[in-house]
Amino acid sequence: MITPSVPRPPIALPGFEHVRRSWNKTYEAYAARLLPGEYYVTVNDEGVYTTLGSCISACIRDRVSCVGGMNHFMLPASADADGWKSTSLSAATRYGNFAMEHLINAILKNGGQRQNLEVKIFGGGRILAHMTDVGMRNIEFARDYIKTEGLKVTAEDVGSVYPRMVVYFPATGKVRVKRLRSLHNNIIAEEETRYLRTIETKPVGGDIELF
Amino acid sequence: MKTDIVELVKGVGGLVTLPDVFIRINRLVEDPNSTTTDIAKVVRQDPSFTVRLLRVANSPLYGLSSTVDTVSKAVAIIGTSQIRNLALSTSIASTFAGLPNDLVSMDNFWHHSLYCALTARILARQAHKCDPEAVFTAGLLHDIGELVIFNRLSALAKEVLLLVLDSADELPVYEAEWEIMGFDHAQVGGELARQWHLPALLEECIAYHHSILEAQRYPRETALVHIANILALMAELDTLDSGDVSPINPRAWEITGLSEDIIEPTVREAQSEIAEAEKLFLGN
Repeated sequence: MITPSVPRPPIALPGFEHVRRSWNKTYEAYAARLLPGEYYVTVNDEGVYTTLGSCISACIRDRVSCVGGMNHFMLPASADADGWKSTSLSAATRYGNFAMEHLINAILKNGGQRQNLEVKIFGGGRILAHMTDVGMRNIEFARDYIKTEGLKVTAEDVGSVYPRMVVYFPATGKVRVKRLRSLHNNIIAEEETRYLRTIETKPVGGDIELF
Repeated sequence: MKTDIVELVKGVGGLVTLPDVFIRINRLVEDPNSTTTDIAKVVRQDPSFTVRLLRVANSPLYGLSSTVDTVSKAVAIIGTSQIRNLALSTSIASTFAGLPNDLVSMDNFWHHSLYCALTARILARQAHKCDPEAVFTAGLLHDIGELVIFNRLSALAKEVLLLVLDSADELPVYEAEWEIMGFDHAQVGGELARQWHLPALLEECIAYHHSILEAQRYPRETALVHIANILALMAELDTLDSGDVSPINPRAWEITGLSEDIIEPTVREAQSEIAEAEKLFLGN
């Protein structure tokens, strides 16, 4: 059997060389795999994909110059069951602001124009029945942020009880959202909890770099 | 590899055992000299199964025309081989509670299995020549090999699930298992069925639900469970788009004589039955 040759990956933008990319047979393109807390911006015809439980991914692109990318974030818990570790709302949204600003700034820096941006948001599912609905908080934050920035959501698939697989192609704006079977819930929740711990243990004051 | 699977399954012998009432009914069903009275007697000796049996017999899911208020009536109306299936089906979730794991919640696991059981039963009614209640049990048990793998080989099982996610969910779980472990959950489940001396129909459906052409004695039932497994995912994910789930082997349609037109009504019917079925089969 002859293995069809896989082309070399396109050159990553500076600052994104560390993101793991692999050849995707279905889409016949390279795709970058995002973990919670990461983001990726590209000017190439390649995909970005991630799995979302209660986290949110914003997919943003300049529809004229076709530069765009995806982030993956959630807000740390605010005052709830873990009252002793309560984080004020402004401190919590700080992490969301970071994630959104980093993505938008990287797009603008690489040729994007604010007036050409289109935004799609995904995730915020409630995948663990016994937990409070943290997904909804993340969805509300993302919608608020986008509105405040004067941007428009052109498509979304948020909430409900499913984890999601999101594959996004910034060059075309094409996105594939696939609901995942509950078999994957625990693995995805575990990945997100690990990420949550890293942001919750970081000091909220000061000028910290999160990505 | 075969010996690895045999040993793996032997390793759970002390943790999960078939319910006593099933073993005793099974023996009687296989014995040509036994009577329905013998079977009713065995059922009555197990008060908890008696309650479960009467609940199932009177549920709208079975749609029997008259009220079934005694064990002997249940045995007469439902039939002995069906009683044997129910002895397994109604206790399977508690049987496997002895094999816990950190990867998948038991509720989510049995939710999918029950959807597979319901869709298999609906399909069998259309396919004729297939016993709907037997394939119901086969559907309920089709993934039991997963529970063995999750419990005994949890680190590898986690690698499998991560590989599936890394593939952007393009790689089916059983293929990821082949890649990481060199065997899959269907083989493990089939071996468990063999060591437990389950009826051959169940063993084949469990062992070959991902490789239906290997089924020898029950190709139709195996193909039905194969289709039911995919339709169960559609029901769970509330989608009718075949691109959202693993593909159905086209040979399964030929073998069962069913056509793709039945997908939508089957998924919808299973969705309307799941709440009642959960009360009967997964409730305490």
